[in-house]
Amino acid sequence: MNDRTIWEKMMQVDRRVIYLIVAIVMIVPIIFPFDLPIKISKRTTLKLFNAIEKFPEQRSVFFISADLNPQDQPELYPMLVSWIRHCFHRKIKVLVMCLYPTSLGLAEQALNQVSTEFNNRASQGIGRRIVYGEDYVFLGYKPPPIVPILGLGENIFDVFPRDFYGNELKDYSTLPMMENIKNYRDMDMIGSIAANTLPVTYIAYAQARYGIAVTGGVTAVSVADFYPYLDSGQLTGMLEGMKGAAEYEGLIRETFPEEDGRRLATEGMSAQSTTHLAIILMVVLGNVCFFMQRRHESRRG
Amino acid sequence: MNIAMDFWTWTAALLTLAILSFLWKDNPTYRAAEHLYIGVANGYSVTLIWYNVVVPNMIDPIAGAYRQVAREGMNWSVLNPFQEANFFVIIPMMVGALYITRFIPKISWMVRIPIGLTLGYYTAISIPASFEASILRQLEASIVTRAHMTMGFRPALWVFLVLIGTLSTLIYFFFSTEHRGILKPISNFGILVVMIGFGASFGLTVMARISLAIGRFVFLFKDWLGLVY
Repeated sequence: MNDRTIWEKMMQVDRRVIYLIVAIVMIVPIIFPFDLPIKISKRTTLKLFNAIEKFPEQRSVFFISADLNPQDQPELYPMLVSWIRHCFHRKIKVLVMCLYPTSLGLAEQALNQVSTEFNNRASQGIGRRIVYGEDYVFLGYKPPPIVPILGLGENIFDVFPRDFYGNELKDYSTLPMMENIKNYRDMDMIGSIAANTLPVTYIAYAQARYGIAVTGGVTAVSVADFYPYLDSGQLTGMLEGMKGAAEYEGLIRETFPEEDGRRLATEGMSAQSTTHLAIILMVVLGNVCFFMQRRHESRRG
Repeated sequence: MNIAMDFWTWTAALLTLAILSFLWKDNPTYRAAEHLYIGVANGYSVTLIWYNVVVPNMIDPIAGAYRQVAREGMNWSVLNPFQEANFFVIIPMMVGALYITRFIPKISWMVRIPIGLTLGYYTAISIPASFEASILRQLEASIVTRAHMTMGFRPALWVFLVLIGTLSTLIYFFFSTEHRGILKPISNFGILVVMIGFGASFGLTVMARISLAIGRFVFLFKDWLGLVY
């Protein structure tokens, strides 16, 4: 047992030591945050931001399919909040739908959070008030995914006779923005926030058939699956995990100086960087230990 | 330090700690939190599906049609599927109920009817859509055109790399001919491209998992313990 080399000992280190190291390098920057420059990705984040910036004010509609679950919340929730903030700043109407039941609570929370932020600022004389039915409508949940995706291309009132709160969608006195929205032709873009391949489903069923622009907000683990659709122009930009969300938060803060809402993704970016650095060092160290041990064994015969 | 006083923040924080305790070793606290999560998630989903799917799509139309018949007497309009209140929904409801026959051995063959209908619908609807979105448009995107050459050196280089990468990977997965001669270096390049793809996916997976952990730690240290301002 005592014959073990330092390399061998390091390769057999208890996994809990690794967890502890990762926890420390993650927690320290959270408690003592420091700013690191966040480079904006041109072909993903900036492309999407610029596309939304080009929407005409007042009459544009951004349709968000908010299909995030509690387990994806740290990555996807900041994206949803950022998109809603951006649309409200630009006076773009927002329609939100969920294709999974567990997404409802998070989608409603994001809408309430951002509208409260705007209304609090408006009460101090900064910016404008956000009114449900005029600036946004929460459609609620409708399964199974392909059926509402196709149905919305024909007639939104058939798919959602009522909104999430039970208001008749055709009751234009309560939901005046719905007067000019009948199907995808009246919307400018679909934004699909999901931890699975739902953005591709929107490309296949909504874009291919009805020609509407589609963008995605996806978890980092699934980003690689969407690059081909980005290169082919089927996706108009994309947000890639927590980093993409932090980039978008930065762009909004830069463009709209009055925006003072909490930047959830940016808060985690310094921890993200230190943890990545630690993991890279551990991967390098693991490889060094492996090769040194092999060299030691070959010398010993 | 500005510790949270909200009951639900404390509940979420203690459950997070219970789940994280698995990193040390399996324990009853972790098991309890895991079972609680599964129970709550299922209960939540079932309730939402009941009120958002079953009630508006099945119970409301039948109840409406029943009230209409009671009020006006039987007429053909209650069989009109395009009317909000109708008895027509009983047909798809009965087809759906055939899934339960799986548990009755003598008539279990009847489960093939709803499965067949579902498969038929989704196959018919997804083949043209997937072909258009994932094959035709992707093929189009991998074609090098004169327009790509006018976009500058870097875009042109990327387009060529995509083309070479696609062709070499396809050749690597072409098993009808032995990879000898010119095919050998091309398929070797193909496996290199595949490996780079796997490496990128692994890196992104690490990034995703770290993001989830950061989300929990931000919650614990900022929202619960109030250690961050």
